[in-house]
Amino acid sequence: MIPVWQISRYGSLWILIAFAASVLPLLPYLPLWLPLACAIAILWRVQIYRARWGAPGRSLKWLLVLVCVAGLLLSFGSLAGLEPMVSLLVSAYALKLLEMQQKRDALITLYLGLFVAVILCLFNQQFSTAVVVLVSLTAVTAGLVGINQSDQHRGALRPLKTAATIVLQALPLMLAVFLVLPRLGPLWDVPGPGGSARTGMSDSLGPGDITRLGRSARIAFRVQFEGAIPARQQLYWRGMTLSDFDGRSWTRTGPVGYPQPAVQWFDGVMQREEQVNSAAIDYEVTIESTGNTWLYSLQLPEPRSEDVGLLRDFNLLSRRPVNSRSSYRVRSWPQLPMDVAGLSATRRYLETRLPPGSNPQTVATAQRWAQEAPSAEALIERVLSLYNSAFFYTLQPPGLGKHSVDEFLWSTKRGFCEHFASSFVFFMRAAGVPARVVVGYQGGEVHPEEGYLIVRQYDAHAWAEVWLEGRGWVRIDPTAAVAPERISRGLLEYFSGREALFGDTPLSLMRFRDVAWINQLRLQLDAIEYSWSKWVLGYDDVQSEVLTRLLGKIDARRMALFLLAAGLLALAPVLVFSLLPRSGHRIDPLDREYLRFCAKMARRGHQRRSGEAVRDFAQRCAAAEPQHAQAIQAISDSYEQGRYQRTENQLAQLRQQVKKLRI
Amino acid sequence: MSPLTPVRNYYRRWFNHWLAKRIPAEQIVVLDLKRIFIFPSKAGFAYLGVVALLWLVATNYQNNLIFAFAALLGAVFVVAIMHSYANLSGIRLRVTRVEPTFAGQKAGVELQLSQQGKRRMRDDLTFSFAGSMPVTMTLPGAEATAMLYVPTSRRGWLLPGRLTVESHYPLGLFRVWTHVLPACQGLVYPKPLPGQPVAVLDGVQGDTAEVRGQGVDDFVGLEKYRSGEPLNRVAWKHLARGRGMLSKHYGDQVSTSQWLDWQAFPGLDREARLSRLCQWLLEVSAGGDLYGLRLPGSESALDKGPRHRDQLLASLALFELQAPSGNGEGGQ
Repeated sequence: MIPVWQISRYGSLWILIAFAASVLPLLPYLPLWLPLACAIAILWRVQIYRARWGAPGRSLKWLLVLVCVAGLLLSFGSLAGLEPMVSLLVSAYALKLLEMQQKRDALITLYLGLFVAVILCLFNQQFSTAVVVLVSLTAVTAGLVGINQSDQHRGALRPLKTAATIVLQALPLMLAVFLVLPRLGPLWDVPGPGGSARTGMSDSLGPGDITRLGRSARIAFRVQFEGAIPARQQLYWRGMTLSDFDGRSWTRTGPVGYPQPAVQWFDGVMQREEQVNSAAIDYEVTIESTGNTWLYSLQLPEPRSEDVGLLRDFNLLSRRPVNSRSSYRVRSWPQLPMDVAGLSATRRYLETRLPPGSNPQTVATAQRWAQEAPSAEALIERVLSLYNSAFFYTLQPPGLGKHSVDEFLWSTKRGFCEHFASSFVFFMRAAGVPARVVVGYQGGEVHPEEGYLIVRQYDAHAWAEVWLEGRGWVRIDPTAAVAPERISRGLLEYFSGREALFGDTPLSLMRFRDVAWINQLRLQLDAIEYSWSKWVLGYDDVQSEVLTRLLGKIDARRMALFLLAAGLLALAPVLVFSLLPRSGHRIDPLDREYLRFCAKMARRGHQRRSGEAVRDFAQRCAAAEPQHAQAIQAISDSYEQGRYQRTENQLAQLRQQVKKLRI
Repeated sequence: MSPLTPVRNYYRRWFNHWLAKRIPAEQIVVLDLKRIFIFPSKAGFAYLGVVALLWLVATNYQNNLIFAFAALLGAVFVVAIMHSYANLSGIRLRVTRVEPTFAGQKAGVELQLSQQGKRRMRDDLTFSFAGSMPVTMTLPGAEATAMLYVPTSRRGWLLPGRLTVESHYPLGLFRVWTHVLPACQGLVYPKPLPGQPVAVLDGVQGDTAEVRGQGVDDFVGLEKYRSGEPLNRVAWKHLARGRGMLSKHYGDQVSTSQWLDWQAFPGLDREARLSRLCQWLLEVSAGGDLYGLRLPGSESALDKGPRHRDQLLASLALFELQAPSGNGEGGQ
């Protein structure tokens, strides 16, 4: 007969803690009702433990499963995709918690916990996330200890202590495996995280789209330049060009009218070798997860990383959606013109096209001004001075109706960068000048110590590009005409003291950037985050370099030896334990001093015979060494006294006497 | 019989032989590297499955952080080897006592665990002999004892055989176990069976009886009550009068001597006779008589008391049996 196995008290406790620790950080990415379901599961489990409620019966269990699946279908529409799958996993985890009776159930619950805890890294890969996951994994490990230990222990923290010891001891081996093990490419396509996990640019621009980003201090990307950082006014990070206008918002057009192919993928060779006389800027961009394929770069970029391609409108494209923080290298040629050879007829049509009947007042004015202006440059000058004379740059622009450009230009006159860019491009097109809207980021914050550039969501910007004969696409930033400080000093400086920022991220440390130590702390945290992304998240890129430095040369034998050494290091304590002979019992400190004395005597030829009393031995030695007789007698007395009446003094005295005895 | 049975039997023989050489019988067993075996449990293989799954996710999502955590869980698996081993390593085992019992009943084997040096909490230790109920316990300090109950079938010397020590602590990922052979043996008395002895008159010594007082149920006197005497003998009236607790004694066969004779069960075989003698011995020794045992070739002294009884039970247990030559493998 096998005794009935029961989950021990502390086992249950730690399974619950592990559940909370692994599910809690995931909740922001899950449907709103799921936390409620998890809370009910925990409560029910506690009540089962207290024998207040029964475990759910078979039919109730199936009902709960159906309710969960139905809820997920209602929330997501389907079970395909990352969020639905993770939600399904979490529901299964919660239901398993209810069902748990046998040791096998407890094991399945805890293994689900391991998986759920680590899955968090799909949504967020910050350093803090790693710490959170480490903590939840330790809690799950404590659960494993809890179900494997006897129920006789009083200490609720004992499983945690054991688990933490094991996890800490595992860290060196983990590091070795992480460093050495080769990474494979994706084995099959997987769905990435959906909208809830990201903020950032979308591929259309309507009124208010960038204003929304302007309130978020989240980081968009970081840039490490190889040389000096260009002037702030030059830092226009182009993301997309938008050429299609529907009267309200701008969207992209395809590569129609451009020579094929649409994308030039990086193939490992320099593509613009003929332009060596032009100045180039080399840099590496570390971009946060966006879920999209477009990448950001300075004007006229040339991809320098695998799976990055150059589009015909001189923007960069990633082969796969950016679903996790990743890096790419770029070389930019800021002085090279774009499409200087001319626009194809199709392209010219697409870049001047406007929806018929849209914004009639602006169209009429534009046509009149175009006739009055001697050149396109003069027309641009006139429009910019219009902005400069009567317009306001604000984070809280009034709402706009159907003819958004007309309303903005001739009545409200208050707007954010997208209003200026959109109205400017509309005006230019109406005047017959090819123009397009560019969205991306402008500027960035230079980290004072590490020297890299931090670009945040509030640096999001929209500007215009106008095609001029003989010059190609020329960047025109109408916002600079209204609020030049926005470009030269940044959005924060511009709005500081004027309008409330960071509605999206109320706890952002950016809010307190005027307090010196908080600002310092903020920058230090960001430096950690940057090193983290460079050395841990982007380790694939530096792996061969690191291994070469670590091992001298990369070959299978060295890597295997390195792993073996790390494994042996992890098992070192057990080897020491079993290979070294263990002394049966520890020697009493008093005895140790006396043995030291005996050794001294032995050097003079006086061996203590087995069974010889301490006093007899002292007498024999004193007789043989009359000049030390007193010291010997004193040592003997101290030892005997210490034997019967132990005090710290006695021990110290004996130690002193033995040390003093110079023989 | 499955076609694999001969293979399995061969393997089992080979394993027992190997085990006998590797872990021979010892007075005090110290669990160390030579004696402890370790292998992933089912839960351990499932854990590796989870790690592999995480590695797949990390690879497909090109997510180095998940890769790092998969590596961490893998490393935890390796480190768990050490902790599982440390839980058993250094424990000293000794069988202090094997309680004598009657054939067919379970014999209690007292196991003493101890550890030297730094006292670590040893958790989830499961002990079992072949056929015994496993006992799970901890060794929190320097010493602990456990009782295991081993089934017996025949009289004679009981050799409990190999003791299996097993643990899954701390993470359940590994089964750490050993089969040790602590030197011990215990007596198994014949199974007592009721029988009707016939009177044996061999002229050497007849039954004698000294009778104090006449008649079987005649009152003889009061004596001081000794604990264990039936309560219906207590002289309640005297107690009520405050004269102390006295018990009434009746005239009976107060002291007789009886011979338990091999010849008293004619026509039965050896084991059946021993079983009847055993039952008879138990009945007689419960009374106050002097008794002795006559077996072919030996005759005990007349005596009474538990020591005498145990001596006679032992001679019944070992009648015409060879003493075991050391502590061999496997039971009786």
